[in-house]
Amino acid sequence: MDYELPTEFDIIIVGTGIVESIVSAAASRIGKTVLHIDSQDYYGGFWASFNLEQIDKLCERNQNANVDISADVQLNEGERLIQIGNNNFDLKNTSQKWSIPEKLELKDVSENVEGDNCDVTETEADNGTGTEEVWTQEKLMRESRKFNIDIAPKIQFARGDFVELLISSNIARYSEYRSVSRVLTWLNGELEVVPCSRSDVFSNPKVSVIEKRMLMKLLGACMDSEENEFKDYKIKTFHTYLNDKRLTDNVIHYVLYAIAMSTVDTPCSEGVENIKRFLNSLGRFGKTPFLYSMYGSGELSQAFCRLSAVFGGVYALNQNLGGFVFDAENKFKGLVCGKQQVIKASHLVMGIEKSPEEFVKSVEVSYISRGIFITNGSVKGSEKEHLTLLFYPLKGGRELCNVIELGTLTGTCPKGIYIVHMFTKQINTPKEDLEECVSKLFQSEKEDSDVKDARPQVLWSFYYSAPDTNTANLRKDVPENAFLCPGPDCDLDIDYSIKKAKEIFNSMYPDVEFLPRAPDPEEIIIGDGSDEQIPKK
Amino acid sequence: MAKTYDYLFKLLLIGDSGVGKTCVLFRFSEDAFNTTFISTIGIDFKIRTIELDGKKIKLQIWDTAGQERFRTITTAYYRGAMGIMLVYDITNEKSFENIKNWIRNIEENASADVEKMLLGNKCELEEKRQVSKERGEQLAVEYGIKFFETSAKASIRVEEAFFTLAKDIKTKMDKKLDEVMNYSWFKIQC
Repeated sequence: MDYELPTEFDIIIVGTGIVESIVSAAASRIGKTVLHIDSQDYYGGFWASFNLEQIDKLCERNQNANVDISADVQLNEGERLIQIGNNNFDLKNTSQKWSIPEKLELKDVSENVEGDNCDVTETEADNGTGTEEVWTQEKLMRESRKFNIDIAPKIQFARGDFVELLISSNIARYSEYRSVSRVLTWLNGELEVVPCSRSDVFSNPKVSVIEKRMLMKLLGACMDSEENEFKDYKIKTFHTYLNDKRLTDNVIHYVLYAIAMSTVDTPCSEGVENIKRFLNSLGRFGKTPFLYSMYGSGELSQAFCRLSAVFGGVYALNQNLGGFVFDAENKFKGLVCGKQQVIKASHLVMGIEKSPEEFVKSVEVSYISRGIFITNGSVKGSEKEHLTLLFYPLKGGRELCNVIELGTLTGTCPKGIYIVHMFTKQINTPKEDLEECVSKLFQSEKEDSDVKDARPQVLWSFYYSAPDTNTANLRKDVPENAFLCPGPDCDLDIDYSIKKAKEIFNSMYPDVEFLPRAPDPEEIIIGDGSDEQIPKK
Repeated sequence: MAKTYDYLFKLLLIGDSGVGKTCVLFRFSEDAFNTTFISTIGIDFKIRTIELDGKKIKLQIWDTAGQERFRTITTAYYRGAMGIMLVYDITNEKSFENIKNWIRNIEENASADVEKMLLGNKCELEEKRQVSKERGEQLAVEYGIKFFETSAKASIRVEEAFFTLAKDIKTKMDKKLDEVMNYSWFKIQC
């Protein structure tokens, strides 16, 4: 390395997940000196996006690469060196499977070329829907770099805390977004488009005139949340409320499973809150309330890292981390980087997977069942490419499975390919938990009939259990000047992570503004002013 | 808001610390030189609108924000970049050798058709020169890119370099305008 790291900072942040990155940006922004360091050679930790080659090796990846306890440092009396990292929050039950041949056999190629006229017409017709391209592992691997596959896919509400923070802090300029172009639900054995806005409701041919009125009236009631309307439902479910309104099954389905993102067990107040959140985010960007970050969710943390760097945060990835130094009063003193260098700081912030074992031994972990699928077509074919969000009610409506389908316009996969992310709270294994949804959306792997299945084919699948520590107490057993950042949770958005980051920031720096607006480049004047005038919106 | 430009190009500066990327940026955007911003703090990007063939081209030129020091430039930095200035310091052999690493980094992260240019900066310091002009030219030929020796301090060829890069991008873009017109992604603005 050509450069030496400075020996003292206000804060050392270990790990580049979203919470760590937000804290980093917030601290740098108010002039604190920040060292943001990771043992991995990429940004994001469990929040990262990977290309196909990288994800292929993900199972072998150790989140705590480059952590080495053989450091040789002089400690003062009472100080002790603690190893960085633990294995409590690893991805589990990982299983990866290709469902396409490695290479195209020569025989197949010649058959395709020599196909008779009838075949050719068929192929041409199919090309219109883009589903008949022959994919091989080799061919996809050649396009590996065009993939940005999220380990923790996230969708943001257009008026959620994340978007508001991006705007108020002026971090919006570091990333690009696409709006989710349709919300789907599974109704009567089919995928149906959920009418999101008023005009959607009125133009939807599957919703009768009476249902249109019911729906608008109901949504109005939820938005106004008059006390009388819900006073009898304080301990009842939202489903009960909807049933009592004597709505049709269709309307109940759209409202419960899609707009309220609820299940039959969701309490009424929560269902109403969800509806408000959904409707409040409508009409800001695009046709639905939702946004997805271009090039994958892994870019989200990088936007905050960029702001941190612009305000002087020092970045170092792929570092050999030798341990944390704590003193006799169990106070964090410094980080051992490499074999010998001790870097001091008054605060330590770390991703939960970077924490020494002793701080997280009582942290309760639940799991998220996740599945990623590379497919050769959309779950609901359409003329234009859609960015789709689907809430699939599992097991009689007791759990929702979140499904996000991304096409090439999101910058996460090559042309002709879709990536489908599924996740739900883990009950059994990821494969078992997602099986119902998988079997409905994709072609079955057994080609036992001659009837052409119009559903997309899964080319590659990857199942895993991801830890969720949202409900855990991350202050217990943790020294006063050290803080743990939770990893990705089962929520659709990252608003909880922002809340956590803010809490950590406020514990370190009470009464200081959290991420005030960063100036625009043209507002910073160094040396001679320029006559360049950029019109403001 | 009426659009005040016909084209918007995102350009990046890349190269080792201390080669003068920020100075090059300031020379071009503000026609100023200032040695006080030695390390890049608070410098995000700069904008200058130029005119080429009667078209207004808004150049948004991004600085590394110091993330080049430990090779921690984010993948997000490269997204959507149309042109990259690879900068080395002619008085620093190492910074020249590292250009190869930066090109590898670009190949891994930037769009395959990004327009690149090599700049040997600080050419006013002839007495301290470690990298001959010929070696710079040769490396540029090797990668099939253009090359300029510049001086941000003495204001030599900085203007020319950016105009050339912008022109090359425009030419490339005009050729395949249809493809690039797909502007359906957006930035969040208040």
